[in-house]
Amino acid sequence: MALPNTNNASATIKRVRFWYGLLTIVLVVFGIRLFFLQVVDYSHYHAAALSDQLKQYQIPADRGIIEAQDGSNVVPIVLNQKLYTLYADPVYIKHPNQVAAKIVPVIGGNANQYAGLMHTKNTRYVILAKKLSPSQNQRVLALRIPGIGTQGQDYRVYPEGSLASQVLGFVDGNGKGQYGIEQALNKQLSGKAGQVKAVTDVNGVPLPATKGNIEQPPVNGDTVVTTLDLPMQAQMEKILQQEYKKTKSQGISALIMDPDTGQIKAMANYPTYDPSNYQNVTNPAVFQNGAVTDAIEPGSSMKTLTTSAALDQGVIQPNSSFYDPAHWVINGFNITDIAQDGGAREQNIASILALSLNTGATWMLMQMSDPGHTQITAKGINAWHNYMVNHFRLGQPTGIEQGYESAGYVPPANMNDPSIDLRYANTSFGQGVQLTALQLGAALSSVLNGGTYYQPTLVSETIKASGQTQVNKPKVVEKHTVGPNIGKELIPLMQNVVTTYHNEGFSYMSFPSNYIVGGKTGTAQVAKPTGGYYKNTYNGTYVGFVGGDKPQYVIVVFNIKPGIPGYAGSYAGQPVFSDLAHMLIDNSYVTPKTSP
Amino acid sequence: MTYSSSLAMGRSRFSGRNQNSVVFRAPVRKLGPISNTITLIVLACLLGLLYLTQVTKTNTFGYQISALQQQQANLQSQHQNLEVSSARLQSLDRAQNSTAAKGLVPVSPSGTAQP
Repeated sequence: MALPNTNNASATIKRVRFWYGLLTIVLVVFGIRLFFLQVVDYSHYHAAALSDQLKQYQIPADRGIIEAQDGSNVVPIVLNQKLYTLYADPVYIKHPNQVAAKIVPVIGGNANQYAGLMHTKNTRYVILAKKLSPSQNQRVLALRIPGIGTQGQDYRVYPEGSLASQVLGFVDGNGKGQYGIEQALNKQLSGKAGQVKAVTDVNGVPLPATKGNIEQPPVNGDTVVTTLDLPMQAQMEKILQQEYKKTKSQGISALIMDPDTGQIKAMANYPTYDPSNYQNVTNPAVFQNGAVTDAIEPGSSMKTLTTSAALDQGVIQPNSSFYDPAHWVINGFNITDIAQDGGAREQNIASILALSLNTGATWMLMQMSDPGHTQITAKGINAWHNYMVNHFRLGQPTGIEQGYESAGYVPPANMNDPSIDLRYANTSFGQGVQLTALQLGAALSSVLNGGTYYQPTLVSETIKASGQTQVNKPKVVEKHTVGPNIGKELIPLMQNVVTTYHNEGFSYMSFPSNYIVGGKTGTAQVAKPTGGYYKNTYNGTYVGFVGGDKPQYVIVVFNIKPGIPGYAGSYAGQPVFSDLAHMLIDNSYVTPKTSP
Repeated sequence: MTYSSSLAMGRSRFSGRNQNSVVFRAPVRKLGPISNTITLIVLACLLGLLYLTQVTKTNTFGYQISALQQQQANLQSQHQNLEVSSARLQSLDRAQNSTAAKGLVPVSPSGTAQP
């Protein structure tokens, strides 16, 4: 038997050891390299990898929609819709005329204009059209034209067109609410954007098998259900448009509110605008809801509040009478009545309102100062100031859900002011004090409902994305603006105003006897920015109510600088009130008296 | 007595004092260092493969989720469009200008009913 060849065995072992050693060295080299890559340079490579793979972006929340009342239904008046921007990359478009001819049948417009845009040089992005509908988007993409693409973007859409546009406001290009409800309730409507932070593949699809992925879904904005009555709003806007032309005004604002809840049923201004094309508006003033943002001197419609305050203090009675000298001299200035009022004679509370006696309103302030006398004192000024500011809440925003609400202006009861008597005499008949239509309506509502000042509101309820409904209950701001019977005393006085005008030939101020309708005109001088008042320029205002057994609706009309002859309150404000009151009665919005 | 101790007693009969005993054992086959290394590498590869399979499988769900989310977004978009169309069809302007409305005979009220 041959012995094993030890030389061969030794060589094999050596070879094995050599390769083993080599393998070990290679593995050690790999190991060291891996150690450097994965441990020493971990931070660098981790960051580099994450910068490429980790995607972090926001998921936008859907903005809440806005709805309005339509009989027993609630219907949307502001919705969201994804619309598309059509763009072209001129570099890829070899035959602009042919491409333009292809897209015109889908998107409309002018082929030459599109071709011209596609000829633009030194750019890779030209917008051809905006706000394409989803079907237009699909049809354009189906054409498969190189260099033509679309981008989706969420827009607010308004199924009712420009209806209530100034109350609603709009959403700007940055997704922020501007004016109206959109501005005031921007936070609620916006919701909360979601967030995705995840390692993704090359297409941006999150890879679930990765530690630390975050996906936070968005919380969509609340649905806001307004108190606006859609058909009432539509009819009000139609009336304002007609009267704007008839009275040749610079603008008209009006509102209809429920005095027992503070809910606004209709609120409009003319001129108005289309919120879906807000960017084309040349005069930004039309964005404002004038009924809330524009405080003016209301003129004699203020006498309803002066009368209420005097009645509440017990310094006058509804049947009080006084000798009207037809003028008072206060701080060296004359406060006079108009010639048609018949000069100096015995007058009463009803005639103060029916004939709109400035001397009568001043007399009421005198009674607040010192009953039975004819002088204005600090006591009367402080009392009237207290009623205006603390009872009727003038000179401060009402808190309605609207952007840019005006606080108005009530002059301070500064007894060191040498003209304070005159200043306050003026406020008693609505000059030198500034109110919005809403402030006037809310204050009168509190008188008519028995003394409760409800915060005016445009929101009936809000519905959260979770479906939870939050009803906006009437909010009592002031429990005792006037005594519970003052409204009952004021109602016949204001009805008398309506009857008086009807008897004087304003035939349209006739209303069926099973309804109660009362009102008060106001013709206010317009202050110059530099001081003093314009001559022959007036604002016409009207404040009134319509109801059956009790006032159901308070109506306020501000007619800005009407261009027709006659007293602005009577000839420009009053017809609008009449139209609105008839509209409410004719459309059965008002419950007639239960007994004649 | 346990089962194992009974076996031990049985065996002792064949291996008494001064007796040689021969035990035939199969030669122990040991894996060499290379085989060990290769086995370890293969095992590591298998484990890696298993891990990759699982990760890929999990990530596939990501694509399914993404597709479903896309489908959800499309349906929501369609829903929005339908809502808008519905609201437009029911709008006051459209109702007022509809063929049905145009076919109505205008009637001006001659007066409001008195009680």
